[in-house]
Amino acid sequence: MGRVFVTGIGVVSPLGLGVDTFGSALLEGREATAPVTGFDASGLDRDRACEVTDFRPREHLTAAEARRTGRCSAMAVAAARMAVEQSGLGDAIGGPRTAVILGTTMGEANVLGQLEARWIHEGEDSVPPAALPRYGSTLLPIHVARAVGARGIVQTLPAACAAGNYAIGYAADLIRSGRCDRAISGAAEVIEKLQYAGFARLGAIAPEHCQPFDKERRGLIVGEGAGVLLLESEESVVRRGATPLAEVGALGLACDAHHITRPHPEGAGSLVAVRAALAGSGLAAADVDYVNAHGTGTDANDKVEAMVMREVFGTQQPALTSIKSMIGHCMGAASAIEAVSCVLTLRDGVIPPTINHQELDPDCAGVDLVANEARRAPVKTLLNNSLAFGGYDAVLCLSQPEVLAAEAFA
Amino acid sequence: MDLAITSLGVVSPFGVGRASWESALADPQGAMAAAFRSPSEVLDAEKLPGARTAEAWGFDPNEHLGKKGHRTFDRLTKFLIAAAKHALIEAGVKDADGAYVGDLGPERIGICSATAYGSLDAITELNLVAELEDPRFINPSRFPNTVINAAAGYVSIWEDLRAPNTTVVDGNCGALDAVLVAVTHLRQGRADAFLVGGGEVVSEPLYRALARLGVVARADGTGVTMGEGAAYLFVEPRAAAEARGATILASLRGYGTAFEPPPSEALLVHASADAVERASREALAEAGLEPSDVDVVAAATGGIEPIDAAELAGLRAVFGDDACIATPKALHGETFGAAGAFGLASGLAWIGGAPVAPCVQGSAPAAVRTVLVSSVGYYGNASAVLLRA
Repeated sequence: MGRVFVTGIGVVSPLGLGVDTFGSALLEGREATAPVTGFDASGLDRDRACEVTDFRPREHLTAAEARRTGRCSAMAVAAARMAVEQSGLGDAIGGPRTAVILGTTMGEANVLGQLEARWIHEGEDSVPPAALPRYGSTLLPIHVARAVGARGIVQTLPAACAAGNYAIGYAADLIRSGRCDRAISGAAEVIEKLQYAGFARLGAIAPEHCQPFDKERRGLIVGEGAGVLLLESEESVVRRGATPLAEVGALGLACDAHHITRPHPEGAGSLVAVRAALAGSGLAAADVDYVNAHGTGTDANDKVEAMVMREVFGTQQPALTSIKSMIGHCMGAASAIEAVSCVLTLRDGVIPPTINHQELDPDCAGVDLVANEARRAPVKTLLNNSLAFGGYDAVLCLSQPEVLAAEAFA
Repeated sequence: MDLAITSLGVVSPFGVGRASWESALADPQGAMAAAFRSPSEVLDAEKLPGARTAEAWGFDPNEHLGKKGHRTFDRLTKFLIAAAKHALIEAGVKDADGAYVGDLGPERIGICSATAYGSLDAITELNLVAELEDPRFINPSRFPNTVINAAAGYVSIWEDLRAPNTTVVDGNCGALDAVLVAVTHLRQGRADAFLVGGGEVVSEPLYRALARLGVVARADGTGVTMGEGAAYLFVEPRAAAEARGATILASLRGYGTAFEPPPSEALLVHASADAVERASREALAEAGLEPSDVDVVAAATGGIEPIDAAELAGLRAVFGDDACIATPKALHGETFGAAGAFGLASGLAWIGGAPVAPCVQGSAPAAVRTVLVSSVGYYGNASAVLLRA
């Protein structure tokens, strides 16, 4: 009974709220990139982003919840509620055997930004004391636990752009080791002025579009949102006769120990992580049908990722896509929102496209990119890839239910 | 769970390295006098007159990191690297010159590192530039420090540690929760050993926030005295530690955690006695021990009265009104996300013979074999780890 299943998914994305809206927009190849509206980006030489424009907290949160949460936590709560609703667990989601494990990069960055702006411009006495505790990266799982009644493990893993994979894979580990029966896992992130300026100053932001693996790619487009997977033990799923959407395989992790912002030039850690995800899931490379690429659209990332694809999969390449071409790089939330997309692909057998694609970069040669148009193909087993700030490499295996060998998780 | 602790690397108000920690704890009154001082070496005395802190007084990064390569690192990163370096050498995986020796190589050693406010200084520094000048003037070399996992990421780079690096942010429970992360990664075979612990720094924005909330240390000794430092335990499966002939200081035998929401939807900050009780009972159950097997409880008592009272009530529900409950933060200050690691470091010192002090109830045992370390968050979560000689 070592399997871990996904029984609910929820998403707040730059392409809309809820898995149906999100999923169909992805398959249509819609792009969310637009001039940023949340703050004044003039002077930064870059002004485009993939913002979540239609999220109104009070449509998803109670008045009390909306008062105590910042935008990041509010999006996480909304996505968690969607996942719980889909699972059909109802009130049974709560209790001490339910964990909430969420990732992020900066958490309630805009709460902090607003507090500090007020302090800087109007003085310390203008900052209401009651507003101060609303900042804290640890608050994401706390708010979600309160919203759904979870009373077990609450943890935040701020693993930067790999945070979603870290949280989902680790939550599955906790279920397998018997520390909980259910977990709300995923990640959330907001676009905030300081961090946008930081990416701009690092020269990482593209002027117009995100073009993963393209010869003309110029960088990433910053995105935001929340993605949640509700995970359940096999025993829990069997007991209540639920129909799982997908199964969680192994999480492969490594650290480049090379550079704080750039990936290892030979993809050393990424290779270890991909192979660990395969081995831990009882899979050979040839078993993988699809890889959701990290595919940020930066020169270094895409080159290294293609190198790893060639090294691991050789001439038998699985389909490869980066939906960051449509929703941007949602940072801490990226691999969680992408995991939601992965679950939809497993369920529906359609791989979303990598849009804005004109010509494959020769440095990225050898991959099977799903360019511009969605591809109908049965996907039984896939890898969700992520590389992050800090030299983090995290690869999560997801599959159709009961496709993976049971012995892999005995 | 039976994980051997084979070294402790620590940066604290008492200095750097386990010897400085243990000699300070051998004399609790002296430790207190050495730790709690004014004026601050970190905070601006003109802007924050009278600030009393427990800093890593006189910490000189050049002494531990050499003279080069760390100019852009923030204070937290330097603390973590110094603690990691000492832990790796004392565990016997590196020699005194910093070269890896033996079969346990850096590709199989990972990091589970907690902090609660580790990026706050860098964010504030850049926000000041962005707000008072223009966002386009922020210094890109300082930007990485605004990302909270950067500090531990730099440790992996500095020490070439290529097994997973995980930062944990769970408010005050972070460093104990890092134990769960390490146990989980080890079970999945992702590494053979981990540096487990965390770090925190004295920071102006955090000090101002605590002052604005009315909980910062007051002249009468009440309130939160901000501490800082870093502590890493080198942790590996017992059998592996024995096989490589490492000295085992103690072992981690149980972990528990729980969350309870506040009684009112209008509340955000609160601590729950029920959560503290559940966390402690879970840690005991995993270790297969009874409350009476615990010689001393290292409480999280940090100077915020309602939080401390909830914890004490939860601990009394488990251990009774006579058990020895010590408050180690009275010696080294509140280190938030790293506090659990300092609690474990105190437990190691007590097991090694340091006197247990001060105690809020019960009397100090003559000898210590088993310690329960408690952490309590500000939002309803609580965690506990059981340490046994």
